[in-house]
Amino acid sequence: MRTGAAADHHGYFHEAVRYDSDEEMLAVAVPFLLGGVAAGEPTFVALGERTGGLVRAALPAGSGVEFLTGGSVYARPTAAIRSYRQLLADQVAAGAGQIRIIGELPQIVFGATWDWWARYESAINHAYDDFPLWSMCAYDNRITPPHVLDEVARTHPRFATPGDVHLPSPTYTEPTVYLREKCAAPADPLQAAPPLIELTDPTAAQARAAVQAVDRRVLPPDDVDDLIVAVSETVTNALRHGRPPVRLRLWAGPDRIVAAVSDDGDGPKDPFAGLLPAGNGATGGLGLWITYQSCNHVSLHRGPAGFTLRLTAGNPH
Amino acid sequence: MTSERTPSTPYGHVCWVYDDPAALDRAAQRFLTAGLAAGERLWYVAAGRAEPVVARLSAAPALRDALAHGSLEVVSLGDTYRTGAVVDGPAQVRAYAAATEDALAGGHRGLRVVAEATPLVRTPAQLDAFSRYEHLIDRYMRDRPFRAMCAYDRREVGGRAATELACLHPETNAAETPFQLYAHDAAGHRVGLTGELDESTEDLFGTALERADLRPVDGRLVLEASRLRFVDHRALLRLREYARQRDAAVVLRSPRAAAARLTALLDLPGLTVEVAR
Repeated sequence: MRTGAAADHHGYFHEAVRYDSDEEMLAVAVPFLLGGVAAGEPTFVALGERTGGLVRAALPAGSGVEFLTGGSVYARPTAAIRSYRQLLADQVAAGAGQIRIIGELPQIVFGATWDWWARYESAINHAYDDFPLWSMCAYDNRITPPHVLDEVARTHPRFATPGDVHLPSPTYTEPTVYLREKCAAPADPLQAAPPLIELTDPTAAQARAAVQAVDRRVLPPDDVDDLIVAVSETVTNALRHGRPPVRLRLWAGPDRIVAAVSDDGDGPKDPFAGLLPAGNGATGGLGLWITYQSCNHVSLHRGPAGFTLRLTAGNPH
Repeated sequence: MTSERTPSTPYGHVCWVYDDPAALDRAAQRFLTAGLAAGERLWYVAAGRAEPVVARLSAAPALRDALAHGSLEVVSLGDTYRTGAVVDGPAQVRAYAAATEDALAGGHRGLRVVAEATPLVRTPAQLDAFSRYEHLIDRYMRDRPFRAMCAYDRREVGGRAATELACLHPETNAAETPFQLYAHDAAGHRVGLTGELDESTEDLFGTALERADLRPVDGRLVLEASRLRFVDHRALLRLREYARQRDAAVVLRSPRAAAARLTALLDLPGLTVEVAR
């Protein structure tokens, strides 16, 4: 049985909280959390250190609200989806009628990697819809750029405001539409220079060797190995599903390696490609999903010149 | 009894794929000369008549002497294998085992064979059976002093068949061989795995595993993969499924932590990646 604003809702009840002050945030978060505990619902906080601290201080001692470590939950979108789906499945298996979560993305993702977090916010409308989840995504208007707030409005069906008010978002866009739109991530400054290596129609093995060749041993070996996995899968996908020629370009900087894999096609047809394992776990749909969990940033670029997937190992910010 | 040798130690099972018979001659001479130095009995199993092979081997003085003393014999394929037929793997292993014991009884340190095996893999059924036999004899070689260079003419067998054969040998000259799966001991549950496994090798890897027909011991298959350079999720899924069909768990011992992370992502009970750098 569900309670509160989501009482009559089936599936995922996804809200954003845009606040101008700490008091405004607490005025939404505290009743939401205590209402969950009072209804006997598993109730979680996945906020950053500062905001989480404010909430913790505002709750009575031993409130029963569980605090998740926000930083590691929101390292990579696909990993966040995977761990949240696991958490939700476990709670439902344990008998939960509704689960409540309030979370926030770390401020750093409002920069160069915002595009894939915007895709995350959109995709979870579908990815969490299997569960009786009521969640609030908190955005501090004082530190969130306006263009990010625009995307928040497009990816959240409704807003929560103090006084138990829940308003539909006028610009909300269904994920199947939103995720198919051209989403432009800014070019990495490294891409201003010619690539260190450029290969046309490489085999996956040649692509892997090229990544090794540009490795200047400034990144941990595990990060380079994971990028090799990602590049191998992306090139394999482009060769198999894209339109030739397939092009691999590689750049290396003092703290990162950037790989761009392009083909003349339109990119994956599945709007959730990369964010969710495609199909029913069949081998073919796993390559991009693995890629998204093997890099610190993956961005999609669709244009007249075809489709490009750009992968970053190391520091993408 | 099982050998304790590490998988990186060459134990003398070489797949030699050639386009140029002269290159095979040179390789065979080196291989046999090494056996001579090791005190082994030597056979050259020729696809055609013995005389031209005798003439070519005699160009090397040491081998000419060995031919004269009888420690090197050139035999024709029909005397050793039943050509035209599909090989009976276990029977062929028994034949070489008897010959190896005979060599030991005759005071040699073992038996070393160069086999021109092209006529034995001409049809798909022959290729399948002979590939299976290659892994069986590979297990035997892990245990007993028998070594072989299996020579295949790429122009006749074709590139795909040559690769199917080469990937079941611990050593090969065929640089295009993407991975190699070979016996690690005689029991058949531990194999060595080197090279790279990705989407392009998916079918080949499946075929190689089927032909190797691994036998779990204590419900476990073990892949010693210290020189495995890359393994993708397809190969991990296949390994796990292969072991599952044999009611076994599978352990991949690899320096690649990425393989362990992939396995964790895919949530594959029954598959363990032990990372040893």
